Amino acid sequence: MTGPVIHDVATLPADDNVNPYAFSVDLNGQWFLQKGKMIAYYGSIDFHGIGHGRLDRLIAGSFHSPLHAADWVVAEGQGKMLLADRAFDVNSYDLEDGNLTIRSGNLLAFQPSLALKQSIIPGFLTLIGTGKFVAASNGPVVFVEPPIRVDPQALVGWADCPSPCHHYDHQYLRGFLGGLRAHTGIGGASGEEHQFEFVGAGTVLLQSTEVLMPELATGAVPDEAGVPGGGGHPAQSGSQLPQLPGGLGDLQRRFGL
Amino acid sequence: MPFTALNSRMVEARIAPGQRMFSQRGAMLAYRGEVSFTPNIQGGQGGIGSMIGRRIAGEATPLMTVEGSGTVMFGHGGHHVHVVDLTGETLYVEADRLLAFDGSLDQGTMFMGSQGGVMGMVRGQVTGQGLFTTTLKGHGSAAVMAHGGVIELPITPQRPVHVDPQAYVAHRGEVRNKLSAALGWRDMVGRGSGEAFQLELSGQGTVYVQASEEKL
Repeated sequence: MTGPVIHDVATLPADDNVNPYAFSVDLNGQWFLQKGKMIAYYGSIDFHGIGHGRLDRLIAGSFHSPLHAADWVVAEGQGKMLLADRAFDVNSYDLEDGNLTIRSGNLLAFQPSLALKQSIIPGFLTLIGTGKFVAASNGPVVFVEPPIRVDPQALVGWADCPSPCHHYDHQYLRGFLGGLRAHTGIGGASGEEHQFEFVGAGTVLLQSTEVLMPELATGAVPDEAGVPGGGGHPAQSGSQLPQLPGGLGDLQRRFGL
Repeated sequence: MPFTALNSRMVEARIAPGQRMFSQRGAMLAYRGEVSFTPNIQGGQGGIGSMIGRRIAGEATPLMTVEGSGTVMFGHGGHHVHVVDLTGETLYVEADRLLAFDGSLDQGTMFMGSQGGVMGMVRGQVTGQGLFTTTLKGHGSAAVMAHGGVIELPITPQRPVHVDPQAYVAHRGEVRNKLSAALGWRDMVGRGSGEAFQLELSGQGTVYVQASEEKL
């Protein structure tokens, strides 16, 4: 039996995982990280909020949106920095002239050579460029290739493939018995009526459970016509029926039940 | 065997036309191919009679039937998943610990009192199994959930195994289990060791133990 491994500044891995839950960054320059995710560091590292003083220009270069930059800090200096997030599994990924869209709550840190942008899908962020980033997930991440349909809560992100579309399975809600089921709630719902469908070439990242990590606000998008999630008037639900127990809400309307 | 472990918390199942699989509702994480997920009113196999039996026994975990052709990935609640391959034996497990299982397995409900009478019922209360437990019998696989990793301990006639009731997950084979209480005056005055009740499993088979005393 070996006891706990004792690390010092020389034995800490450089840009690699210390264990499944902690990641060690070999800092020499700048890294961006989400607020509160640094757990320890060696060396001389300064942490600055973004958008103040001389770091103001970073917003234009790497964030492209002043609205969610407040959730990020810049680590600047030399040394080893340990990142972790509430004992969730942490992994690093290399992007090479690529793009990756990730759920906002899962992204922990990234190199400044990557540009962080809001995805047009609300709640997601897109990283573009070449560099390394660190993401957390609830359970180990599994990489799969399209075509695949994914439980919305298990989705962490996707790289290099077209944005997903919604897919509804409602085979069992058809016909007389299906209608009875949909309206009375007898038999319940399988909980798998709705998936995200990925097609095309790329990689989809899944976490091992359907328990989501808390969302992180990505900032509001401009209130403009044609911008998804961009203010305006929320769509009115066309259903006149009150929500029935066991009902599927909007799903019923979509299937014309 | 249809289940392949992708990592400690996720399994992939291959499903072919004409086969059926049961899984806990909402436990699908992703799938390929044309697969349908239908909520199962009966909570598993059998007809209305089995359904009423399971309802009364409190073993009616919401299940769904998985049919079609393709591969499905299952995982639930961040719990560790352990695949048990059965070749004719019986697996005794709580229904809410079953993530998914082959349709080829015979699902049944067992009254705890049938193994050891009143003591069996007491045992059910202590292990959190209640008065009834689910049995799976035949040839096929089942994916069982546990909090923390799962350890398999073999049981042989010469070597019974003692298990903390809270860490007990499931067992299979020809196993008799009884609750052994080591209550003394110390427990009465609140100075017990905290290990007053143990599950003693003897016979021939395997017991699955989780690396945690937390229930699902």
